Amino acid sequence: MEAAKNLIWLVLFLPVVGSLIQALIGGRVLKQLGPKKGKGLMGLLAVTPIAIAFGIGAYLTMQLSQAEPSSRHAVATLFSWIDFSSISIPFEVIIDPLSMTMVLIITGIGSLIHLYATGYMAEEKEYPRFFTYLNLFIAAMLILVLGNNLALMFIGWEGVGVCSYLLIGFWYKDVVNAKAANKAFIVNRIGDWGLTLGMFLLASFFLANIGKMQVAAGETRWLSYDVLLPNAVTLLQSNPGIATAIALLFFVGACGKSAQFPLYFWLPDAMAGPTPVSALIHAATMVTSGVVMLNRLHVLFELSPVASAVIAMVGAFTALFAAAIAFGQTDIKKVLAYSTVSQLGFMFIGCGAGGYWTGMFHVTTHAFFKALLFLGSGAVIYAMAHNQDMRNYGNLRKYLPITFATMFIGFLAIAGVPGLAGFFSKEAILGYALGNHHAQAGGYNLGVVAGWTGLVVAAMTACYMTRMTWLTFFGPERWRAIPEAAHHDHHEEHVEHHAHADHGPDEHGFFMTEDELHAQPHEHEHHHDLDASHAPKEVPPSMYVPLVVLAALSLFGGYLLHNNEMLEKWLYPTGLPVLTELEKHPHGLPLMALSIGAASLGLAIGLFMYWKGLPASEGWDLTKWAPWRRAAANQFGYDDAMVSSAVEGGDQIATALWKRVDVGIVDRIVNGLGGLANGVGRGLSWFQTGQVRGYALMMLAGVALLLGYVAFKMKARETEPMEHVEMTQEVARR
Amino acid sequence: MESSVPLGGYLAVGLMMFIVGVVGVVIRRNPIVIFMCIELMLNAVNLTLLAFAKYGPIVKGADPTQTAMAGQMMVIFVMAVAAAEVAVGLGIIMAIYRLRHTIDVDEMSVMRG
Repeated sequence: MEAAKNLIWLVLFLPVVGSLIQALIGGRVLKQLGPKKGKGLMGLLAVTPIAIAFGIGAYLTMQLSQAEPSSRHAVATLFSWIDFSSISIPFEVIIDPLSMTMVLIITGIGSLIHLYATGYMAEEKEYPRFFTYLNLFIAAMLILVLGNNLALMFIGWEGVGVCSYLLIGFWYKDVVNAKAANKAFIVNRIGDWGLTLGMFLLASFFLANIGKMQVAAGETRWLSYDVLLPNAVTLLQSNPGIATAIALLFFVGACGKSAQFPLYFWLPDAMAGPTPVSALIHAATMVTSGVVMLNRLHVLFELSPVASAVIAMVGAFTALFAAAIAFGQTDIKKVLAYSTVSQLGFMFIGCGAGGYWTGMFHVTTHAFFKALLFLGSGAVIYAMAHNQDMRNYGNLRKYLPITFATMFIGFLAIAGVPGLAGFFSKEAILGYALGNHHAQAGGYNLGVVAGWTGLVVAAMTACYMTRMTWLTFFGPERWRAIPEAAHHDHHEEHVEHHAHADHGPDEHGFFMTEDELHAQPHEHEHHHDLDASHAPKEVPPSMYVPLVVLAALSLFGGYLLHNNEMLEKWLYPTGLPVLTELEKHPHGLPLMALSIGAASLGLAIGLFMYWKGLPASEGWDLTKWAPWRRAAANQFGYDDAMVSSAVEGGDQIATALWKRVDVGIVDRIVNGLGGLANGVGRGLSWFQTGQVRGYALMMLAGVALLLGYVAFKMKARETEPMEHVEMTQEVARR
Repeated sequence: MESSVPLGGYLAVGLMMFIVGVVGVVIRRNPIVIFMCIELMLNAVNLTLLAFAKYGPIVKGADPTQTAMAGQMMVIFVMAVAAAEVAVGLGIIMAIYRLRHTIDVDEMSVMRG
């Protein structure tokens, strides 16, 4: 392992090089070779680095798995980055089962999605810009998972945030996308606030207790995991309050990046980005970084049952809330977005219950099937003239056989059908949640509550995914008969967004108007309308090959990782340091029967509801919708409440500050000082008569006063010390 | 060299000259006369300085020769400065006269606040 570890730098820097190539020569190549050949070459140059990185990552993982479980750990240091006498932070990466698992997911799924994107974005003018961002994202994500200290993780954490922002706002001329990108970035800042505070608290706590740490002489890498985590157990065990504070602050960071309640609401809006971005960043990799961080720092969370209970309950509530919202969505990507939020909630239930590896298990299987579903939805959208509304779909299995077959596998996997990926990971999570009592707060075993909630959510997941699949691939071909009133609904919604936009007047004409957006040929996803004569066509091979690979992974990946407890023994060969042995199954509960039952119940209800296609109660006429579904479509008002309280509340706070503090206090002080000077000047100008003789008189008076004062002082002195008296006597004698 | 005039006599003459000068500056409106009064005041001070130079130091322990030299030096300075001041002052008076055809100081009140 030691011999091969430096290969990791290739994995890390290939995407950086790829990104630089795209950025520096992409535009020129496109000009030189023409759009078709140029895009072919640049697409190849975009996919190749990621694929090579995946190959090297796989080789390193093989090497790592051949080592003894206790020695599966190597640190490679490139250079000393920050170096003080009390603390040093080298640029170092860690090669261990957790980081290599993530490397394989990131580069593996990443290269498939890059391949897919070469097809999906083929009509895009700014092709190299897209792949610049996408490669850069891979690099940032690799730093996040590979970095061996909290500072490097933070770089990656912010790096993926920036790339996410750039890619959500890829079509930045449309103000809706620009706003979605801003929203994602700003909401993530709140999470980062928690993460940085947690880091500071951890670092300052360690520096305060430096004497109690058991480290080799001269070791100052306090933030590096191999120094930090073993000491965290000894130091924090006697300080449960600080352990809880640190764990909760880190969890705030995880909530931001992994879209958990109350910070989930940026993720659905992030679907404004191109679909490959939604698949790669907003489903498979970046949003799982919260779970990865929980696994990396699991010692901290193990030490705090209260924080664990909070994590499990937040995860459970998010899963339930997002699953409920998914029932009210008609945009195929929005359904998948809420499903992602919900599945992320599942991962947090598992981590909160102490089954950290189950969180990673679900991260892995979810990466398979959710990337598959997103790419499949991208294929559907591509085939349906970029219309994303499921109410316009139907019977697409006839036109898109490959997409249908692969997406159907993804659907079965997420629904929890036995034998497929999602079934195993969900069952593992529920088993840990229901069988253990680690996640406790105030004497209540909240982990079990989260587990039962998770079971309900599993049924809901099966149901809404059935809804999505049946509305898309079965039933009548509804785009043949879109009601005239509803024909432009999508765009009306769009215009409404513009009307609601509170970005102020667009004085410089930066953003495109609705008409300009439609006039752009092949520049934008919403460019032409779906009409009755539309004939969907299967997507090109570059788009369906990734689908097939991901479908195979969704079919077999879960079983392979579950068989012989492979993933658990790979990630945690020696068990957890604090919690040690945890129950994998609840006693006296037929867990497998329960989870199969939940899945089949959801499927049955879904099939019953949507077997014949779109029910009238969910059609174009929103007034016919059930009230709860209308509320769900509107995120139960949560998003509006958050946005208005943040935007308008912020406006009110700013206005109050301006009126009270700025005008009321600061201005009053400044104006008061000015007025004081003015008044004093006015008073003194009375003396400024312009009469020379007057001035002379004033001088005389002044001198007289001064002399009088001096004389008075002299007289007072005469009664005092002898020498003064002598002096005056001498003068008098003369 | 003893003198029959005591120190108080010199000081009294100096004081009277000074008061005459001050009163003149305050009550007269002709700048030429005001200048003359200023000269009176300066010379009153000169007289006082010379008197003290002659009668030695009033501060105990000071060197009498030094005191005498210092007093006479000051007088030379004052005279030089007074000559320069008069030259400048008369020049200003000429300029004002050319501008306004009067030199009455009460008319010169444009600087009133």
